[in-house]
Amino acid sequence: MWAYFTRKILYGFLVLWGVITIVFFLFNILPGDPSRMLLGQRSDIASVEAIKKDLGLDKPVYLQYLNFLNDISPISLHNIKNKESYWYFDKSKYRNGKIILRFGKTGLVLKKPYLRRSYQSKREVSDIIAEAFPKTLLLASTSILLAMLLGVVLGIISALKKDKPVDRFLMVFSSLGMSVPSFFSAILMAWLFAFVLGKYTGLPMFGSLYSVDDYTGEVYINLKNLILPAVTLGIRPLAIVISLTRSSLLDVLSQDFIRTAYAKGLSKKAIIFKHALRNALNPVITAISGWFASLMAGAVFVEYVFDWKGIGVVIVDALEKYDLPVIMGSVLFISVVLIIVNILVDLTYAILDPRVSYR
Amino acid sequence: MLSITDLTISFKRGESKKFAVKNLSLTLKKGESLGIVGESGSGKSVTSLAVMQLLPPQAVVESGKIEFDGKDLLKLSFDEIRKIRGKRISMIFQEPMTALNPVIKCGKQVAEIIKIHTSLNNEEVKNKVIELFEKVKLPRPVKLYHSYPHQLSGGQKQRVMIAMALANKPDIIIADEPTTALDVTVQKEILLLLKELQKDYGMSLIFITHDLGVVAEITDNIAVMYKGEIVEQGTVKDIFTNPAHPYTKGLIACRPPLSGRPVKLPVVDDFLEGGKTDFAVETEESKKLRHKKIYSQDVLLKTENLITRYPLKKNLLGKPVKWLNAVNNVSFEVFPGETLGLVGESGCGKSTLGRSLLRLVEPYSGRIFYKETDLLKLKAKELKKYRKKLNIVFQDPYSSLNPRLNIGSAVTEPMKVHGIYTNDNERKKKAMELLERVGLTADVFYRYPHEFSGGQRQRIVIARALALQPEFLICDEAVSALDVSVQAKVLNLLNELKKEFGFTYIFISHDLSVVRYMSDRIMVMKEGEIVEFGDADEIFEHPENEYTKLLLESIPGIDAVFK
Repeated sequence: MWAYFTRKILYGFLVLWGVITIVFFLFNILPGDPSRMLLGQRSDIASVEAIKKDLGLDKPVYLQYLNFLNDISPISLHNIKNKESYWYFDKSKYRNGKIILRFGKTGLVLKKPYLRRSYQSKREVSDIIAEAFPKTLLLASTSILLAMLLGVVLGIISALKKDKPVDRFLMVFSSLGMSVPSFFSAILMAWLFAFVLGKYTGLPMFGSLYSVDDYTGEVYINLKNLILPAVTLGIRPLAIVISLTRSSLLDVLSQDFIRTAYAKGLSKKAIIFKHALRNALNPVITAISGWFASLMAGAVFVEYVFDWKGIGVVIVDALEKYDLPVIMGSVLFISVVLIIVNILVDLTYAILDPRVSYR
Repeated sequence: MLSITDLTISFKRGESKKFAVKNLSLTLKKGESLGIVGESGSGKSVTSLAVMQLLPPQAVVESGKIEFDGKDLLKLSFDEIRKIRGKRISMIFQEPMTALNPVIKCGKQVAEIIKIHTSLNNEEVKNKVIELFEKVKLPRPVKLYHSYPHQLSGGQKQRVMIAMALANKPDIIIADEPTTALDVTVQKEILLLLKELQKDYGMSLIFITHDLGVVAEITDNIAVMYKGEIVEQGTVKDIFTNPAHPYTKGLIACRPPLSGRPVKLPVVDDFLEGGKTDFAVETEESKKLRHKKIYSQDVLLKTENLITRYPLKKNLLGKPVKWLNAVNNVSFEVFPGETLGLVGESGCGKSTLGRSLLRLVEPYSGRIFYKETDLLKLKAKELKKYRKKLNIVFQDPYSSLNPRLNIGSAVTEPMKVHGIYTNDNERKKKAMELLERVGLTADVFYRYPHEFSGGQRQRIVIARALALQPEFLICDEAVSALDVSVQAKVLNLLNELKKEFGFTYIFISHDLSVVRYMSDRIMVMKEGEIVEFGDADEIFEHPENEYTKLLLESIPGIDAVFK
């Protein structure tokens, strides 16, 4: 069991390294001059050169790559003496960094991964992500939780009432839910529940998790704003969970061990909840985790329509403005999240089905 | 105790109706053990499921009564039948691998059946389960209580099932092919256990099986079912010594005998149609002559110290650190025209050995010579030439045919791969010929695997193997999934083909009587090693190895039927 997870974690690191490498080289060969982007078109040669030097753009690509790896790693090597060095341990960059070992002018440093600064706002990318990601996480978790709880219940009902009107209705709903694109359902939801029925529901058309009062600096949290985007985002996973739970449960219910359970004299309820459901949930977990992971990457359309300032909106903005550090940083961050989610899913599998870790 | 009168059950399929059970009447007395024997599709399982109201939804009970304790079981509501299931009547199913819930611990699964029907508290229930585990002779009952089904062997799982069935001391136990999926030695143990427990508890037993040998071992009376009807009923002795119905006669005759070697095995149809039922047995002399001819030739296939192994345990980086030698240091020779039998229980490495010979599994070390060539030294391209000469027929005809390829493509594909014949028309003509040769019609060419029965599929698989005109054929449990009467037909076919094309066979099976009937020499395999190797009849009559003796003693019904 533990060997299985250690292997998964090692594998996760390997994937992460692959992502870092691809991201670095992908954005390195893209056209565009970061120094120009930083300074604007009308800058003088001298300051452009200064920026290039600061960003290490005058160095060969492999050194830039190593420097990038060094910046991202929580444990890194730096020059601690020479301020001019490309590898200098700059306190303004590596906040909370601590030198744990010194050999001459080189130091082994423990620090927070440094994702560099936005070309646009000049803020540190990690700060931008730290601000946007919790919102995305909240939105994604809420909608997935909603889809999971409601979806499994409706899926069970649908399976038990197979070919009855309830089942037919749920199947129609499910295929509709799967096929409606989210930008459309987002606008529809906003229009219907916030505009037309706004008087009764009291829900706003759009708005983020919190707003800051410009004068007093007070922070207002509006949980109400969460409802519409979460429901909109949940529709598709909900539709998928319903139909998956249904088909998987029907499949399990035709297995031999269910017949054994009937032969024992168990009630239908006990058979479904004790014997069938646990066996039926694996494919549902697979699908849900996939969805959860992709929602973490930001549900761009829904975040946009409801002006929910999550990571999806951050990425789209950055792409529009060619803000390379923000794009690279967000992509890397999301990869880490996906890898962690995947490892957690494997853990869930092993708990649900004891045969898994032996395979 | 239980009486079934005039039971008729049909299966709906769209508009059409198919009768699975027709006007069946049966009574079971207290303490009686009754065997119901019949082949797949004869309606024996359907009858037993009807008793428990466990019929699949497509099944319709057309008429009849099943009386138990003064009540008609067919008329009970779900809650009423629930009180009888598992308490008064319990069932043991065929496949212990799938009949237990994979995600619930074994002990819990048995505890559950006690909890529903009694008011014992958790501690008492647990003690009772452990007591039951001891009763069914499971090793380390406390540990197994906390084990999941996949951690147990097939025999152990079946013991758990039996413990479950016994838990509430029911009046009747219905056992539906409970030992079919198990090895012979394990089967013997389970049969003895069931017999002993039935006597101890004074229960009635309905034992359903396709194997006459097995019922002879365990029951007092036998009912023979054929096409939904009971064709004959009587005591074990009567049925075996004096069968009245032609079907019963055929069923008894078509099992390969343990002595003597009929040139052709009788099949059920011979008896039903009232044709010739007297079969010539090969004489000692002709056998000697044949063997002399075979063994004076040069060796066709030879292995030297063959080892094939699988990783058992891997370290953190996925590198294997512990190995299991599935085939351990095996050396033997096969002569042209010979049939070499390979027997052993599941997991002994016999299939791995068969696959290693064709390099379908890559052996770890050793040598395999085919004539002069060392197969293990060949590169992929050169090996292809030999794949044509050496071929294999697999066990399960259901999964060894691609459901989306029609029979024609399945048979012509290997010809295409190896470039036999120049165009598709010739290949098609040849394929049709082969299909006819194995006893099917040419129009089979355009049909799909699901339209065929197990026996027909195995014929198709054989035709596919023949398509390459092989010299050497490995039959890996080729008839194990088939009913005895179908098995006899396929065995006859294999022998005819051997004569016609001059094949050499390696015949792998767990069924000793089949292997003896087919083979000239036999290898007995245990835990990856050959424990005994010699003339087939010689091994059967005078086994030297302890393990071979044990295997022979475990053949079901050997005392009742064959001696």
